[in-house]
Amino acid sequence: MATAEMDTPRRHLTLADANRDITRPIAKPQGRYWILLLTTMAGIGLGAGAWFYQIAVGLGVAGITHPVMWGVYITTFVFWVGIAHSGTLISAILYLFRSGWRTTINRSAEAMTIFAVMTAGLFPLIHLGRVWYFYYLMPYPSQRQIWPDFRSPLVMDVFAVTTYLTISALFWYVGLIPDLAVLRDKVKGVRYKIYGALSLGWQGTVREWRHYRRLYLYMAGIATPLVLSVHSVVSWDFALSIVPGWHSTIFAPYFVAGAIYSGVAMVMTLMIPLRWAFRLEDYVTEDHFENMSKLLLLTGTIVGFAYATEFFIAWYSADPIEIESFKWRATGAYALPFWAMVFCNVVIPQTLWFRKIRRSVRALFALAIFVNIGMWYERFVIFVTSLAHEYEPGGWGIYTPSWVEIAILIGSFCWFFFWFLLFAKTLPVISIAEVKEHLAHEQHGES
Amino acid sequence: MSGVLGHYDTLHGTVDAIERLRAAGHKDLEIYSPIPSPEIEEAMDIHSSPVGLWALIGGITGCTTGVLLTAGTSLGYPLVTQGKPMVSLPPFVVFMFELTVLLTGIFGLVALLVHTRRPVIKLDSTYRTDFSVDKWGIFVPAEGDGRGSAEQLVRDTGAVVVEVTE
Repeated sequence: MATAEMDTPRRHLTLADANRDITRPIAKPQGRYWILLLTTMAGIGLGAGAWFYQIAVGLGVAGITHPVMWGVYITTFVFWVGIAHSGTLISAILYLFRSGWRTTINRSAEAMTIFAVMTAGLFPLIHLGRVWYFYYLMPYPSQRQIWPDFRSPLVMDVFAVTTYLTISALFWYVGLIPDLAVLRDKVKGVRYKIYGALSLGWQGTVREWRHYRRLYLYMAGIATPLVLSVHSVVSWDFALSIVPGWHSTIFAPYFVAGAIYSGVAMVMTLMIPLRWAFRLEDYVTEDHFENMSKLLLLTGTIVGFAYATEFFIAWYSADPIEIESFKWRATGAYALPFWAMVFCNVVIPQTLWFRKIRRSVRALFALAIFVNIGMWYERFVIFVTSLAHEYEPGGWGIYTPSWVEIAILIGSFCWFFFWFLLFAKTLPVISIAEVKEHLAHEQHGES
Repeated sequence: MSGVLGHYDTLHGTVDAIERLRAAGHKDLEIYSPIPSPEIEEAMDIHSSPVGLWALIGGITGCTTGVLLTAGTSLGYPLVTQGKPMVSLPPFVVFMFELTVLLTGIFGLVALLVHTRRPVIKLDSTYRTDFSVDKWGIFVPAEGDGRGSAEQLVRDTGAVVVEVTE
């Protein structure tokens, strides 16, 4: 496990302190928690109601129609897959690089990954319209004699996202096992039985830790290329077509950088209120947020560079269709979302060059919200402006999301936050074993 | 289990105790630790784990499954799309990769369960809840008269609590 250099906590902590402080939130919920939970449930009800309405009436109630057949649903799908990226990035890649600052944020980031993929996975189903024909996508011998086309990036996407969900969930669960044993030893009654079953009877013997450490390392090793592959595959859903604005070789790194960017912003959006609500300031310090800010600045700059590259290549190609597509993106009917995207994703994060901003939790929270909004707009701009303004002027059109799509979008956010709220009250939001590992070494003056 | 159980305050105290107990001939120790520790593994002379082999087998199985699923079924359901060959390796590599990763992870988890002999319902009689908080435990199996000398040895190694178990 990572011990190298977790940023120093504010006060001297013992292993027992870490146990007590991190498990403290797992107690009977109070009024504010219930209000938040019920609000998210109401939002889920709104989204579910809109989806049922769409199922009952037909896909026509959504705004998607020719020429823009990929609208809010696919935008939101890609947005949530992107959000899912930083969890495994923080857990796996930073673990392999022995970046100790991941220790106190990796658990929540991994949870965020899983809930984001769970949310993303709903959108291809919603977008299908007749969701009961979903099984047509599954590879199985049937009388219809059809089989998924393994040359299609859409089928690659199914495999990539489901693999990512499974591996992220396993990685998260493996990391949780020792902490579940901590909870088991702390509680009584039914909760003892539940945590006991989930911890698999873990006792922290040398034999258990030996195999656990190896598995965690291998998991990190395989999850690292997986992180890079998933959003590359998602980008090929677009780049392998001949739609102007999509058919680009930079899409894979551009999407991966954007995914990490949006994911880190969402980690901040979740961790800042969580740290305050659960009084975890001794564990999640300004140093952690500063490190995340640097990652945000790096990936945000890459994303800004990718935006510029797209425009440059369109001009340099001398292809009139490509040039027109990008000119229209910046000045046409969707100019407002485009410039909102540039402002949120490129301009605002440049304030992170200032250390004062990087260490101000309030400023970072506001900035992360801007990036979240900007990254949703980014996907909207890429998908909708390209489809709305393809080759033939006779085939051009304008897409406006319907109330059904907006309601489902709101419902998806509530669905995501609902799971995160449940997680925050039932499982440790910080890895107890990893924090204690650091503290145990610190006792002996080891860095 | 019959023997002596020592509770220790620190990781380094535990490592020192293990080394002294092993030097005194007690090789069959059971160690409980609240954190993962390469130092304890080294003191116990443990250097390898079969989890890697399981993961490798899982990876090879996944890659093979990827080849069979993509190439095999494309030949079984021949339908030319995009003018590409029936067995189009570049796109199929994505499926091979995803299935390699998937089965590596699943086999690794199975290996963890098999080699740690988990899940279990009943915890060891020598396990104490302190061992998941801030204490390390060393259990020295000993029978009859041997328990007395083992108890003294555990005390000498700096245990903060010593229990003699039947």
